[in-house]
Amino acid sequence: MKTKTLLTALAMSSMLTIGLVGNAFAAPVTLTYWSGFTGGDKQAYLDLIKKFNDTHPNIQVDYQLQPWDSIAQKLPTAIISGSGPDLATPDYNVATIQQYVANGLALPLDDLIPQVGQGVLPQAVIDSFSVGGKLYAAPANYATLLLYYNKDLLSKAGIAAPPKTMTALQDDAVKLSNGNGQYGISLADNATIQMWPVLIWSDGGDLISNKCSALADPKTIGTVEKWSALIRDKKISPVGSTGQDADNLFAAGKAAFEINGPWAAGQYKSAGVNFDVAPVPVGDSGKPVTLASTVPTIVSSKTAHPKEAQTFLAWWLSKDTQAQLSTAAAYAPSRNDMATDPAITSNPTVAAFAVQVPNARLYLPTEKDFAKIDTGIFIPAIQSAEQNGNAADALKAANDQLNQLLGCQ
Amino acid sequence: MTFVTAGHRPRRWAHAGSGPLFLLPSALIIGVFVLYPIVQSLWMSLHDWSMFQISHPFIGLANYAELIHDRRFWNALLNTVIFTLATVPVQVIVGLVLAIALSRSTWWAVFLRSVYFFPVISSFATMAIVWRFLLSADVGPTASWLRALGVTPLDWLHSTIWALPAVILVGLWKNIGFTMVILLAALQDVPESLSEAAVLDGATRWQRFIHVTVLSIRHALLFTSVIAVIASLQVFDQVYVMTRGGPLFHTETLVTYMYEQGFTEYRSGYAAAIAWVLFILIVLVSIVQLRLFRYSDVD
Repeated sequence: MKTKTLLTALAMSSMLTIGLVGNAFAAPVTLTYWSGFTGGDKQAYLDLIKKFNDTHPNIQVDYQLQPWDSIAQKLPTAIISGSGPDLATPDYNVATIQQYVANGLALPLDDLIPQVGQGVLPQAVIDSFSVGGKLYAAPANYATLLLYYNKDLLSKAGIAAPPKTMTALQDDAVKLSNGNGQYGISLADNATIQMWPVLIWSDGGDLISNKCSALADPKTIGTVEKWSALIRDKKISPVGSTGQDADNLFAAGKAAFEINGPWAAGQYKSAGVNFDVAPVPVGDSGKPVTLASTVPTIVSSKTAHPKEAQTFLAWWLSKDTQAQLSTAAAYAPSRNDMATDPAITSNPTVAAFAVQVPNARLYLPTEKDFAKIDTGIFIPAIQSAEQNGNAADALKAANDQLNQLLGCQ
Repeated sequence: MTFVTAGHRPRRWAHAGSGPLFLLPSALIIGVFVLYPIVQSLWMSLHDWSMFQISHPFIGLANYAELIHDRRFWNALLNTVIFTLATVPVQVIVGLVLAIALSRSTWWAVFLRSVYFFPVISSFATMAIVWRFLLSADVGPTASWLRALGVTPLDWLHSTIWALPAVILVGLWKNIGFTMVILLAALQDVPESLSEAAVLDGATRWQRFIHVTVLSIRHALLFTSVIAVIASLQVFDQVYVMTRGGPLFHTETLVTYMYEQGFTEYRSGYAAAIAWVLFILIVLVSIVQLRLFRYSDVD
């Protein structure tokens, strides 16, 4: 009996020792992360990933940068086949995650909010990243758009300060356009983070309202008519510009204004443009409004490490990490509770973008047919108004198409 | 006797088996990377196939029926046909003229051959970006020079009238060198004696060109025109980089539309149906070309 007890105790202590030793030498969990941030903000992300890996010996993130197109083409099939990453930024358009959620490819992040805190994430993020009351993505960044202006061009035209109203912006844009290669504003309409919705929202119009098209709303038509007429008749902006075209024009010092996000500041600085930023002017609605841009990070539904993936996302959304991201890339923090944080207020550029968070709206955030609405309906209507001067007809035709797509009468 | 028979059998077997073994590597590559995707895309075109879904419901010819009512598809088809009709004849005729003009072995002819061939070996995506700058009315050297001369530059790529011609011109700039080199090689093989015989028979220069030169290089002409038609019907990269199909779909081609359906809207089945329409179009046009050039195996 004694021998049996002794053997049992020996076996148990051996198992305990093996377990402890095994645990102490357990290999760290590696999370694969496909990311599309290959632009000017790339280094800021790389530095943060390194910081996470240095401070989390048990979780290592294998950060794999890929072009957005490549991620869009490979990610769905990679997740379905089980060969995909644990974390990914599927697209810079937030609505894309709807497809991932609808087809069960994204994991609900039930552990994230308890770690980050209730009411900490911006409401616009919660609304667009949630389906059926569950959060399916975390913001990799959060940006707002501001009005960039070329100080030299304004000063030459005798304009002392950037405009505060849309009417003043239009007047200044006309004054600053010389019809010979200098434009008042550089307004892109395709292959870009959209600028036109800001103009429409500022006058009280919309693209979609109560789940149906608002493109034929008189306020929407009025805004597009006004701006497209100025573009056609007063040549305040080139027509049909891509985001890159618009940025090139401002960087070349040939446009006085541009509505753009924080990522553009670096290239304008290196191009030697003497610029500053101001809030987007207020339109007929009398309320300040701008566009928000956020890139979702999802956790694959096939991941073997859901807890570790959410630990990483919680760290990403922590105050320290957000402060570092804001300082390095001028993004607004993806949290509501950092408006008075010294890291934000001490940097005027970061503060200017961050202060716009309460006024910022996302573009078509929850439309599963985002691409069809954006490239197939909205952009052609705007381009038709710019090219042919038929804003009302173009928007009414687009309105019918959109209502048909949304199932509205 | 028995010894001899036994000795022959393995050798005959080895001889018969070596052929398929030699073919196997190529057959495997073609099977995996060409034949299987072709069959798979046909299968996909008969389904409501999305990259996001595990199951793909069979819908028969519904994707093809939808194409019939899809205005963007017909617009893309029309743009593709215009691009092809504008590109192929110019590419072959100018390529032939250049080949004849530069068939001499002088140093300047050799230099110009390299100049005309340079675009062929350059990356189209990179060159398309360069052309975007050159054709811009606002940013880039051409715009600056023209404005300095008091001329308002044309905004080629944002104009609904000029965007497609601009894309066509850049396509020609890129591909004429290829046609020129193939025809140049063919011209070197035309026997001098044929031309001399035609001169003795009293043929004019034009008659010699048509009945001797063109007739002798007809295989090369067929090859270059078939390749040019296929490349034109499949045009994608220059359109995608220069205009993304805009403005207002005026440069959208079948392949750019297919890409958008497949990788932006994730409708792989519908994109596969577009691919099959394009495939059938290419086969039909190629058959017509072979007939026109009276090509047969005897040739």
